[in-house]
Amino acid sequence: MHSLTQHLARAAGLLLLLGATSVAAAELEQPTGPVLMTISGEIENTNGDGTAAFDLEMLRALGATEITTETIWTPGTITFTGVELKTLLDHVGATGTEIDATAVNDYTVVIPVSDAVEDGPIVAYEMDGSLMSRRDKGPLWLIYPYSSNAEYRTEVIYSRSIWQLDRLAIE
Amino acid sequence: MTLATGFRRTGRAVLSALALLCLLAIAVLVRDVVKELKFLSSASSDNVHWTLSQAEVEFLEFRNAVNWARTAPETPLSSVVVEFDVFYSRTSILANGALYAALREDPAFDAPLTEVRDRLNAMIPLIDGPREELRAGLDDLAAQAEEMRVLVRKIATTGLQHFALESDELRTSVAITLLRLAVLTGLLLLALAAMLMHARRTAQQTERRGKELAIAYARLNTILDTSLDAVVVTDTDGRIQNFNPAAERIFGCRLKDVRGKRVGDVIVPDHLRDAHEAGMARFAADGDHRVIGQGRVKLEAMRSNGEVFPVELAIETAHAGDEQLMVAFLRDISHRVAAENELVQARDKALAGEQAKAEFLAMMTHEIRTPLNGILGNLSLMEDTKLGSDQARYMRNMKISGELLMRHVDAVLDVARFESGADKAQEDVTHLGHLFQDIVDSQTSAAHAHGTALQWGWVGAPEDWVEVDSSRLQQILLNLVGNAIKFTREGRISIEAEVIEQGEPAEIEIRVSDTGSGIAEGDLARIFEDFQTVSHQVSDSVGGTGFGLGIVRRFVQAMGGEIGVESTVGEGSTFWLRIPVLPVESPTEDSGVGPESEAPSDLEILLVEDNDINMQLAYEVLVGMGHHVTEARDGQEALDIATKRPFDLILMDIRMPVMDGLTATKMIREGDGPNWDAPIVAFSANVLPEARNRFAAAGMSDFLGKPLQRTELAQIIVRFCAGRERRVKLEGATPLLVEKKESPMEKLRARYMSETSSLFEWLAGLPEDTHAIADRAHQIAGSAAAFGQPGVREALLLVEQAAEAGDREDLVIAIIEAQAAWKAAPEPTLVG
Repeated sequence: MHSLTQHLARAAGLLLLLGATSVAAAELEQPTGPVLMTISGEIENTNGDGTAAFDLEMLRALGATEITTETIWTPGTITFTGVELKTLLDHVGATGTEIDATAVNDYTVVIPVSDAVEDGPIVAYEMDGSLMSRRDKGPLWLIYPYSSNAEYRTEVIYSRSIWQLDRLAIE
Repeated sequence: MTLATGFRRTGRAVLSALALLCLLAIAVLVRDVVKELKFLSSASSDNVHWTLSQAEVEFLEFRNAVNWARTAPETPLSSVVVEFDVFYSRTSILANGALYAALREDPAFDAPLTEVRDRLNAMIPLIDGPREELRAGLDDLAAQAEEMRVLVRKIATTGLQHFALESDELRTSVAITLLRLAVLTGLLLLALAAMLMHARRTAQQTERRGKELAIAYARLNTILDTSLDAVVVTDTDGRIQNFNPAAERIFGCRLKDVRGKRVGDVIVPDHLRDAHEAGMARFAADGDHRVIGQGRVKLEAMRSNGEVFPVELAIETAHAGDEQLMVAFLRDISHRVAAENELVQARDKALAGEQAKAEFLAMMTHEIRTPLNGILGNLSLMEDTKLGSDQARYMRNMKISGELLMRHVDAVLDVARFESGADKAQEDVTHLGHLFQDIVDSQTSAAHAHGTALQWGWVGAPEDWVEVDSSRLQQILLNLVGNAIKFTREGRISIEAEVIEQGEPAEIEIRVSDTGSGIAEGDLARIFEDFQTVSHQVSDSVGGTGFGLGIVRRFVQAMGGEIGVESTVGEGSTFWLRIPVLPVESPTEDSGVGPESEAPSDLEILLVEDNDINMQLAYEVLVGMGHHVTEARDGQEALDIATKRPFDLILMDIRMPVMDGLTATKMIREGDGPNWDAPIVAFSANVLPEARNRFAAAGMSDFLGKPLQRTELAQIIVRFCAGRERRVKLEGATPLLVEKKESPMEKLRARYMSETSSLFEWLAGLPEDTHAIADRAHQIAGSAAAFGQPGVREALLLVEQAAEAGDREDLVIAIIEAQAAWKAAPEPTLVG
């Protein structure tokens, strides 16, 4: 099983290389501010060494989406603002099926790419209109619309709602 | 049944309620379970255990970062800051997260958490400050972290403990809920099982009832099919629903042809249809009904061929479900009605026959009496003429036969009169002793002729003066005594009277006993029937019409009494009768002046009679009474005479040639002749009451029976002519001269004188035949009293007794004394 996955991964990588030679991968702009998010792995668009790094402005430029919801970690109802995971992945041309999402303290969860749907999770950078500090679970927090969709009120989803997010690795 | 049904209903309701409750409870529980499952699945929870452990892990990483920074002064401090922020974030989740709200209630959790937060907050200036200061404060941070370690540990363990308990409770709660669910499900299953059983039982019952119903229905159908009466079922509109085979047979139409048709059009005859429709409309309007439930009613119905026939009809209403039905039972009674009609006709014929018989009898007796009167009257007249001794004997024989025939005719007439109701009881004041004596007197000679003695007497205290129908009583006794005489030879007949019950009325028993031949026991029951004669070896001569005892029984019953007989063959018979009588005071003696003495004489009388002999007889009597008589032979002649001159009295026969009496009377009454208001008296042998009514209707004043009785005639004359102005004024001094004849009274007196003289002459020769002596002496003795010679009577009765006793010496003495009495007797005169 394990070897099969490895074979597949290698085959996929080969394909990507072939694709990269034939079709020039899009070059993303370079971040100008502090990098909040680095996306690596099976992506087509990069701005570095096979990775796509984003500062806040780049994230904002992808379009803001708001989710107003309660969470189990915070008191009251909170409006989160951020970029949809789907938008972000599309932006980097993610082709994998899984995302290894890692926090600043290297806490990692695996999120299936299929989670990245419209009206689905967002990579939030504002909470109630303010940027989130790292001390307050910032700067980025993967937020699902828990209140508007009961399917998102499960332990699995809660476990995927990673805060202090700073890396995504697409596999 | 009702009770059981009640129980079943209650049971069903309870079970249903139970099942419903179970369902509700199960629903509630299922909702709970679902909620809990949802809670479990979606819960609220991040993995709290992990989070709590993670808090400790992150704390330790923070401490490690601090410690690492202290030991390696060259390393950047960014990892300290990051680890601080990470741990800080974690504690803020514990402090603010909704998941831990309940946990924060526990001071054992909240207190260390608050302290950790406070310390972290206190560190923030240092963390966020210049790195040199941070580096300088690392030792302090490490020291604080060392202190916080216990607190963090405490937070983690308290939290874990709390969630472990909560998890236990949740499990228990789920377990309890599931247990409840299981119990309730079990109960529900039980209830369902019970309901299932109940349903099965109900189904079985329903099936059984269905079978019973089917059987009952089949039975009912069989009854209907085999019923001899037509059964017609209709709805309330009168549309035929059912028509059993008998109905098909009777009305001649098939069910399939008449189903749904209006019954009025099918079986009601035309002349009853309007009434039928009106009745149906009335019933439909207000439930009013006249025939329904009234039992059997006779009506007419119609067959399919239009024949109308009588039926007996009974209608009832019945309910079949919501529908009201009318059930008519009809019985074809045409045969019965025909039979009844035949019976009625037969009865009518029989009655008419009876009537005809009675009329025939009355008519015949009348027709016989008229000529018989003629014969007897002429025999009487002939007796007064000069006759040779043979002729006299023949004469007497003829007279005896004639009188016997007359009695028979009278007996028949009695029956006819009694049956026709003409003979009404007429009670009068009577002296019973006299009545008995008269009977004994009149029958003694006949008894003596058979060598039989006849006597009467009271047993116990006499009750002489009573009110009773004396003429009937007389007839009864004459009949009984006559019979006794007939059947008794050389014996004794006694009449005994006894008051057996005092009071008003009193009851008297009269017994007529003889020592005759007696009556066989087998005959006793029927001798009081009409036309029953009892054969006797004793007397060949005895016989008769057989009417005697039948009449006697009728009379006794009509008088409110009863009659019976006891008899032993060879020893004799006793006829007894008990009749009610009303005892009365003895009336004061009358002056003795009879009606005849008051009767006016010298009347002008028109006598209308077609029969010569009757005419002559009546003529003799009337002239004998001193009247002037004009004769007419028929109604026309009478009418002619009556229009010419007035009469004081007209005696009118009814049945006559040319013109009958009734027509003549009518014409005299309606004409303006001198006799239009004269008394016209019917003179007829027809004595039936309807005849009398007819006479009265024709304008006749009264009725006089044939043969003519002097007393009755005298009474009529007194009633119509006494004290009145004479209708006829004798013209001048020359009355109509009528040939003066010897009066009948004189004739009778002369006859009495000659008979008495010859008796004594004969007795002087002392004849041997004592019976003949007793007989003749008795006969003359009966007459002697009537001619005012009581001494002669007494003496002759003694002769009779002596002759009967057969004592020659006594007889000789008696004869001598009788002869003396005869010589000493006054001139015989008729006493009224």
